[in-house]
Order: sequence, then structure tokens, then C-alpha cells
Amino acid sequence: MSPDRLDMTFSALADPTRRAILARLASGEASVTELARPFEMSLPAVSKHLKVLERAGLIARGREAQWRPSRLEAGPLKDVADWVDHYRKFWDESLDRLEVYLKELQAQGKKDGRKKH
Amino acid sequence: MAAKSIEPEFVITRVLEAPRELVFRAWTDPGHMARWSGPRGFTCTCEIDPRPGGAYRLVMRSEDGVDYPISGVFREVVEPERLVMTMDPTGHPAQWHDLVNPNRGDDPNPAGQLITTATFEDLGSRTRLTVRTRFESDAIRDAMLKMGMTEGWSQSLERLEELVAKI
Repeated sequence: MSPDRLDMTFSALADPTRRAILARLASGEASVTELARPFEMSLPAVSKHLKVLERAGLIARGREAQWRPSRLEAGPLKDVADWVDHYRKFWDESLDRLEVYLKELQAQGKKDGRKKH
Repeated sequence: MAAKSIEPEFVITRVLEAPRELVFRAWTDPGHMARWSGPRGFTCTCEIDPRPGGAYRLVMRSEDGVDYPISGVFREVVEPERLVMTMDPTGHPAQWHDLVNPNRGDDPNPAGQLITTATFEDLGSRTRLTVRTRFESDAIRDAMLKMGMTEGWSQSLERLEELVAKI
């Protein structure tokens, strides 16, 4: 993914309403009316969010003029998540190992301490 | 101070069952550091000169024998409270850099320099360790700033991960 595309994805995800729309679409496609219902928002306001999500490549919309159902496009989301995951995993696993190592060190210390007495 | 709260950074916190002095030593003694640096299954060799301006170099080797070297300099060494160090991943394999930016072209290090701050908080027989990473790459910083994070990056990442898990 190009840096511009990554930027667009991040900025589309920065808004809580848009994240909620994506979460809703994760359980299946939906029309603008269906998406507007839980948010107490006007249809044009929801359409605006959908346009941002569509430009970021996070959703695709059907061609039928009346209904135009939106559905989730997982690709860009997964790219961002993969990138972040990689860095998080590095620290998570290193700190797991640190935790185990510190326990070993302390157990060793206690044993050595006992020998001296 | 206000500007500081929107610094784009990655934060990870752990409470460790060990006194602070020991945890600090595990970060500054090369013999200790080599025992835990890197993800599961990695081995590590390391040289550390833990004083302000002192250099370090870690080479983490994966189970399939790929080396992931990191080098850098200590900016702050406050025993046993705090370490600030630069991390340069330029020596990482090409695939790693491609993951950061698939369109990196000739850029040998698209991730830029990472500034890592480790703080060691005394909780008696335990220690709260916080690792913060600030990214110097403009592309990564911009992307993180645009997420509008004021409580640290990791929180919104958790939300993102929850979301992705549902897909």
C-alpha cells in the first residue's frame, strides 16, 4: 500500500461513526437507510461518511441507483493491521521472554543465596 | 505539554514480577539483554555501552537464520528509572522494509529512526515497565496523527484489531 493510501485509510478510520459503520458492515452489506438507523443521523450525513470510506477503499457500493448497498472491502484494513501487528508482536514476544527470564534469574538468585548459608 | 499529548507513539506496558533494579539491569547488561531480545524463537547477540551517547548493537536471528540487526545510541540513561535510545532498523532484511512501505523504491529505511523510551516504575517487588516508540518517519507520524490519538496510539490500534478480527 502506498503511503498516500495508508494515510487515507488511517484518516477514514479516525472517526468513531465511520468505525461503527465498518463494524456494522462486517456482519453483512447494508443500505444507507439501514446504516443511518442506529446513529440518529440524516441520510446525507451518512452518505458523506460512506463517500470517505469508499475513497479510502474500505467499502464498495452496489450499482443499483435506489438501494446502493455498501459492503466491506477488507484489503486496506488488513494492510494497516498487518503493519501494526508486526511491531506489536515484536514487543509483546520480547517482553514475554523478559518476564520468563526475570523469573529464572530470581529463582537462580535464591538458590545461590541458599548455598552461601 | 499540550503538543506532547498528541505525539504519535506506540505504547506497551507490562507489570513484571521483579524488582526495578533487576529489570533495569536486564535492559543494560549485554548478557541479560541477549537472553530476551526479539520475538519467540529468536536468538540474539548484543553489545551495549549504557551511558548517554553510548552505542549499542543487537543482532536478532530468527529460527530460519535471518538476521534483524538494530543499532543505536543511548540518549538518556537514568538508573534505574529511564532509558531513551534511538533504534535504526536499516540492516533489517528487504522484506521487512517492504512491509513498512511496499513502494519504498531505493529508500533503504522507510521506517526511519525510532526513538524508544523505557520507563521502570518501582512497585515494590514488582516493576511497571512502559515502552514508548516515537517514529521519525513523516509518513508514519502523519498517519498516526491523523488517527487523532490523544491517549496513545495503542488504544486505537486495539479498536482496529477488534474490528479486523470481526471481518
